[in-house]
Amino acid sequence: MNPNANGLHRAFNPRTVAVVGDKKQTDYMWLRNMKGFRGKLYSVQVDPQELAGIAALGVSNCPSLKDIPEAVDYVLCAVPRAVAPRIVADCIEKKVGGVALFTSGFAETGTEEGARLQGVLTEMARKSGLTLIGPNCMGIYNPSLGLCNGADQPVGAGGPVGFISQSGNHGVTFSLVAARHGLRVSKLVSFGNAVVLDSPDYLEYLAQDANTRAIGMYLEGVKDGRRFLRTLKSVAAQKPVVIWKGGQTEAGARASASHTASLAASHQVWLALVRQGGALAVDSLEEMVDTLKALLFLKPPSGGRVGLVAATGGQSVVMTDAFTKAGLEVPLLTEATYKEFAGFFNIVGGSYKNPLDVSSNFTTVELVRRILTILEADAHVDALGVELSAGFLTRRWQRDPQFAERYLAFLEELKGRSPKPLLVIGTAGHKEEAAVELREKLAERGIPAFPTFERAARALKRALDYHRSRAGL
Amino acid sequence: MATKIVRQAQKEGRTALNEVESKELLAKAGIPVVSTRLARTKAEAVALAQELGLPVALKIVSPQILHKTDIGGVALGLASAAQVARAYTQIMAAARERAPGAQVTGVSVQPMAPPGVEVIIGLTKDPQFGPVLMFGLGGVLVEIIKDVSFRIVPLERRDAAQMIREIKGFPLLTGYRGSKPANLKSLEKILLSLSSFAEKNPEIKEIDLNPIFARPDGAVAVDARVILE
Repeated sequence: MNPNANGLHRAFNPRTVAVVGDKKQTDYMWLRNMKGFRGKLYSVQVDPQELAGIAALGVSNCPSLKDIPEAVDYVLCAVPRAVAPRIVADCIEKKVGGVALFTSGFAETGTEEGARLQGVLTEMARKSGLTLIGPNCMGIYNPSLGLCNGADQPVGAGGPVGFISQSGNHGVTFSLVAARHGLRVSKLVSFGNAVVLDSPDYLEYLAQDANTRAIGMYLEGVKDGRRFLRTLKSVAAQKPVVIWKGGQTEAGARASASHTASLAASHQVWLALVRQGGALAVDSLEEMVDTLKALLFLKPPSGGRVGLVAATGGQSVVMTDAFTKAGLEVPLLTEATYKEFAGFFNIVGGSYKNPLDVSSNFTTVELVRRILTILEADAHVDALGVELSAGFLTRRWQRDPQFAERYLAFLEELKGRSPKPLLVIGTAGHKEEAAVELREKLAERGIPAFPTFERAARALKRALDYHRSRAGL
Repeated sequence: MATKIVRQAQKEGRTALNEVESKELLAKAGIPVVSTRLARTKAEAVALAQELGLPVALKIVSPQILHKTDIGGVALGLASAAQVARAYTQIMAAARERAPGAQVTGVSVQPMAPPGVEVIIGLTKDPQFGPVLMFGLGGVLVEIIKDVSFRIVPLERRDAAQMIREIKGFPLLTGYRGSKPANLKSLEKILLSLSSFAEKNPEIKEIDLNPIFARPDGAVAVDARVILE
């Protein structure tokens, strides 16, 4: 049992929160972040020049943590670094659940004073068993409690994604970008310099969190590699873990007498570790979002054969290239399917070989429904990829406002009843804003929508590989 | 057991075990190696060649000479006592000429192993993760092609199976153009043995088994190098 488990539980699910040292200079960012907090919020500030601003926000202020008349579960500390040890001492005395130190200027500065202060904080927290998050971090986001660590984050019902980020900005940005893709966060932590708690501690916490069904991580390094691998193995066996590794650590220019050492560049070892731990490695925020979407929103594919539907002929060609390059197959359909299509499919300006080019058949929702229903049932098809062109749909919308709504409703119905994964690619052409809006509409209906064929294809391949390796194939 | 060889090297202030010591150490850890003996004189070389069975290979043994082929320190396929004797003389002359000042312990004598697909299995220590195993296509191409995979010790059976299958050159091991597939189980076994050997012997810093001949009837290390901390 992790000695910090109880502290972490209180910090992630606080009833009372205190922000220490927020100030006008940063426009009271922390008190503003937490204005939607559903529990009790306090400010701790001694500077008389700040008190009016804090009062104006409607937050009660105390001169010290120890003056707060109730137990405090989570403290966000934003004081200057020299004051941090005093606040940590107060946290210990007050027996708070946990403290996140937004305060920076420690070992990350490479200065002697920074390292010394960090040592003092670490020692104090270790000795007393204080759950200390950071320093140099943005702390916790729990949308269901309205506890935010950045501006504009959605609050209210949380989602299935737990996120652990060494970087504050990447964590907050993930929560904002993911939300636009229909991916909501259950709990998120930015943990900075990781002097007391490191990523395995947060992994263990999110592993046992019932609301978290998948975990994303942004990491730059780990303190104890062997512990990380052990923890990852056990957590990834319970729920999918996707890891985005930033910074290629001291690249493998180690002079050595053996081949093995010179070939073991550390990024490659890192990738091996991710695979060995049963997690998935990604290289960017986009790939993180796409992979999580595929794992959470797609039905598990039973194979790599894809039935593709494009809005036009040229798109059907490059769409096929994208899926094939990703390692998937675009097979010929069954004779029975071809016989059915032959009966009604307009092949003047269209094609049904797979890929399907439905441009000339894009006349009524009934016709599209008929085509997709036949394709979905085809025995050669394990997954469906459907292009929705924002340009096309916008024009159609103007002529027939019902068309898009009914089309989306049909896709939602198809997704609900089919055991095969359905991916929609909401392509933009020159209609960027319309495409974003379209994809958000799809996300609201629980249909995973991707902006490009390549991203959709790679996401489907990741999901396929993941489910195959889980099945021991 | 293993520690005697290690202790001897440490006493002599060496961090590199020679080929003969390395193979002896690894054989005791359950890793199949071509049986290899040290000859300190020409007469010993000829006698060992006949005892081990011709044809044989001779390789220079010297703590200073790490790339034996580069200085002309390797002779392969020696089929008679006369050829062994001549090769011994040539190797010694090459060492004097191309690595003057190198201290020469002798030559290693080993029977020629039937060829197979050349692979490398190695061990190194990562500053964050400790001992790490590597698998890849071996021989002289390893440094150019860099077709290798890694796993962190300790390995499970699944890890060993996966890292073999992960390299691009994997089809070479499954039989191509009519050749018989290599015995993958014996490669997996070497990886697992090396993993537990590394766990039990923290004084080992690096190991190269290069090449290993992967054949249908099993896998055997033809050359080996162990470096101590």
